[in-house]
Amino acid sequence: MADKQDVQPGTLALMILRTLEVLGPLHGYGVARRIEETSKQKIQLNYGTLYPALVKLEQEGFVRAAWGQSENNRRAKYYSLTAAGRKRLAQEAREWRRTADLISAFLARREEAP
Amino acid sequence: MSYLRLGLARLRGLFAGTREDQDLREELESHLEMETAELIRRGMDPETARRQARIASGGVTQAAEAVREQRGLPWIENAVADLRYGIRSLRRNPGFTAVVVITLALGIGATTAIFSVVRGVLLKPLPHRDGDRLVYLRQSTDALGGENMLFSVPEIRDLRSGAPAFTYIAEYSPWDAVLRGEADVATVQVGLVTGNFFDVMGLSPVVGRLTRASDDGPGVPPVTVLTHEFWIRRFGADSSIVGRQLLMNGQSVTVIGVLQPAPLFPDQVDCFTNMVFSEHHLSATMVEGRTHRMTELIGRLKPSATLAEARTEITTVHERLKRQYPDAYDPGSNYRISVIPFKQAIGQRAQLTLWLLIGVAGFILVISAANVTSLTLMRGVRRGHELVVRTALGAASGRLRRLLLVENLLLALIGAALGLVIAVGGLELLVRLVARYSPRAAEIQLDRTVLGFTLGLSVAIALLLSFAASLPRDDAEGVLVSAGANRHTGTPGKQRLQRGLVVAQIAVSVVLLAGAGLLTRTMMELSAVNTGLRTEEVLTIPVPFRATDSTAEAAAKQRLGEMADGIRALPGVVDVGIGSEVPLTTSLLNLELKVEGKPLSAGQAIPRAEGRNADPHYFRAAGIPLLQGREFTTADRTGSGQVAIINQALADILCPGESPIDRRIAWTGDVLRFAPVNGEWRTVVGVVGNTHDGGLDAAPPAVMYMPFAQEFNYAGGLAVRADSNVSALAGAATRIVRELAPGIPIEKVMTVAQIKEQSVTPRRLNAVLVWSFGVLALIIAAVGIAGVLAFSVSMRINEIGVRMSLGAAPGQVQRMILGEGGVLLGIGLVMGLLGALLSARAIQGLLFGVAPYDPATFGAVAVIMAVIGIGACWIPALRASRVDPVITLRAQ
Repeated sequence: MADKQDVQPGTLALMILRTLEVLGPLHGYGVARRIEETSKQKIQLNYGTLYPALVKLEQEGFVRAAWGQSENNRRAKYYSLTAAGRKRLAQEAREWRRTADLISAFLARREEAP
Repeated sequence: MSYLRLGLARLRGLFAGTREDQDLREELESHLEMETAELIRRGMDPETARRQARIASGGVTQAAEAVREQRGLPWIENAVADLRYGIRSLRRNPGFTAVVVITLALGIGATTAIFSVVRGVLLKPLPHRDGDRLVYLRQSTDALGGENMLFSVPEIRDLRSGAPAFTYIAEYSPWDAVLRGEADVATVQVGLVTGNFFDVMGLSPVVGRLTRASDDGPGVPPVTVLTHEFWIRRFGADSSIVGRQLLMNGQSVTVIGVLQPAPLFPDQVDCFTNMVFSEHHLSATMVEGRTHRMTELIGRLKPSATLAEARTEITTVHERLKRQYPDAYDPGSNYRISVIPFKQAIGQRAQLTLWLLIGVAGFILVISAANVTSLTLMRGVRRGHELVVRTALGAASGRLRRLLLVENLLLALIGAALGLVIAVGGLELLVRLVARYSPRAAEIQLDRTVLGFTLGLSVAIALLLSFAASLPRDDAEGVLVSAGANRHTGTPGKQRLQRGLVVAQIAVSVVLLAGAGLLTRTMMELSAVNTGLRTEEVLTIPVPFRATDSTAEAAAKQRLGEMADGIRALPGVVDVGIGSEVPLTTSLLNLELKVEGKPLSAGQAIPRAEGRNADPHYFRAAGIPLLQGREFTTADRTGSGQVAIINQALADILCPGESPIDRRIAWTGDVLRFAPVNGEWRTVVGVVGNTHDGGLDAAPPAVMYMPFAQEFNYAGGLAVRADSNVSALAGAATRIVRELAPGIPIEKVMTVAQIKEQSVTPRRLNAVLVWSFGVLALIIAAVGIAGVLAFSVSMRINEIGVRMSLGAAPGQVQRMILGEGGVLLGIGLVMGLLGALLSARAIQGLLFGVAPYDPATFGAVAVIMAVIGIGACWIPALRASRVDPVITLRAQ
């Protein structure tokens, strides 16, 4: 449990959007499980983190929500990407990659130094 | 774009109702179910699975709260919720709320009232155009009475030509005149000014015009500008006043305009006239005499000039003059001119009093805020349990802090609203006090700036209170919960601070109460002073004839006789006396005296006395007792031998230890050349009692009375004695006098009781003011000590419970708590009495007939403080003795 990570601010929205892009419409539980699996259980999302983020994305118009039936016939709220959300995801991903490249480049050079 | 959408969505969310909440709960429930189902599928038993899922969720309620915060505009929702909660919690503690609100109201009220006074009188910019360019010039010397020597015409000429830093220097001289109206006659205060006066002052007319350069010099028609207040009071704000002729001192003066409302400085005059109105001011003595100093100067600095430049120029000129005219500037007296910014000059007299008041008000505010702080701290500690539980349930400490802030804001604002009511009430008293020192008292008002000040003050107090309370730290909550938070107590340091505050409050109350007590004793002593008249049933009517030649004087004498006869015929009148002055007022005549056959030894001061004239009825009518010899008779008249009656004070000076009867005395000195009396020998025929002519608080002056019939009467006055209710005679007597002297202002018709009251009134004002602050401090101190003890009781409630279960009687417990308060009370009392002894010396000048260490006053104050203090301690002590040990111990 020691290697549990807090979700970095701003990254959760990206993870949610990406999850929805890859898996299509999904309920909150599914999103949480997917993110936990992808992070190899390093990230554990409690409701207090996940749902406000979902509501915020919905308010911003990047996702939309609708009630539906889950795989084992439970009523669940499904979130899906909107066009704006798709655009946003592409843009965010680009920026993140750039930032990540830059930072890792920096850290790499530092390691080369004597 | 997305921000806008976000904002709109949140705004919608603000009004989202239960439906969305329901939705959310369902969603979270389904999440939980899915999670549980998954865990069961993996082989967990349903019970454990459900628990596991709940733990992983991190709390459904918290999540719902977080989503709700995201959905709406949380700070508004929270503020509304906090406000609702705050009101509820304040209503649940009406005692606490009332005490805090009242304490704050007293502190804020006092501070607001005094701030509005200070702002109106000292801080507000002057209504004068570019008022910061105005300066007042003052020539002063080290000699007694040399604080303001004024300027002579030659000096003004020299200063004007030597000070290019000034645009103009304007002249001003106070004068008084008799204004004859259609129906009445009145004395008016006049400011004689140069034509540039209003240009310099930067004031404008409301109607007509003000004086200008063409109104200067001899040979111009006299004109007058009315002050706004006088225009309303005397002429009912009649705008057709311009061009009207007024009859002042027998001259016709044209009204040219009305001045805008403005503080009048140096004097509260009724109107201004040009210099030509006073012959004296254009006479040779005035224009040529370098030491004939009668004029005040106000200058306007050029826009480019600085105060320092003006000071240098004026000093340079003055130094030159001192070298040039050594006779006019006695080197030993150290003549100097100060250049004072006008705003400062106008506020100078009020300044000391006001800073003193600010000090007192500030102190009251601090002790009241201290009180509220310690009350809040106590409540904070008592609420410790509640706060700890709330934290444990997931309330963020920021949110708790906000809740406290909202509560305290509520308290402070209610306190401020009540304080404003108090301020409005107290302001009238303050304005009356300040009006004695400052012409700007009319500018005092509770305006927007003052309200802003009050609002700022209350917000500051609320912030202070919110951050003084300690909140449980996030990481300490567990410890506190498991320890049973009701044992969580304030730190000893905080209690020491609170106790120190209480001691200080008691000490301050004692100091203020002692001051108030001394001033009250002063008032009582003053009222008890014997005026020297045997009865208070005397009406005094000054009839200022101001005769300058013998024909007018003879006519005036005749008129006074007719008035006396007329009044004597009124029912209830016992006697009417005629004199040059009425009793209990000072005489204009104050001269040196010599005694026949008793030359002064070297170094002995020349005796002086007031000169007064009196007719045969005067002493009996005024009730002045005859101590030796005889009164004047009708035989003492022109042509008979010159006689005099002296009062006991003069007898003691002239002939200590022997009878002055039949001794011959005479006025002496150079001044006799200008005085309306001669220096011939007069035989003393009688001695009468002393009268307090200079006010009740001044020693009775030495007086020589001369027969009314023998002397020149430059003024005049009547003393009317009645057997009872003399004030009822005032109207009829005044009518008779006015009828016989239509050109003379009959204005100060007063009974002896009214004259006495004049001496007492200002003292009463002082006393009332200090009393109000004293009582304020007393209330605050009482609340303070009761609060601290109540706190102590609630902290020791377990201990008290244990004591009582071990057999302590309620009385013993009461005594224990009273003893705790008694120590604070005792220390505060001792410190307060010491402080009062020190500060009483500072107000010695305001005292009369009572020593600054008056044991009776101090004793009474100590008793009042002790009674109130013990009373305040009783409430918590009583509460302590009613502790039920069973309940207390079971709560453990």
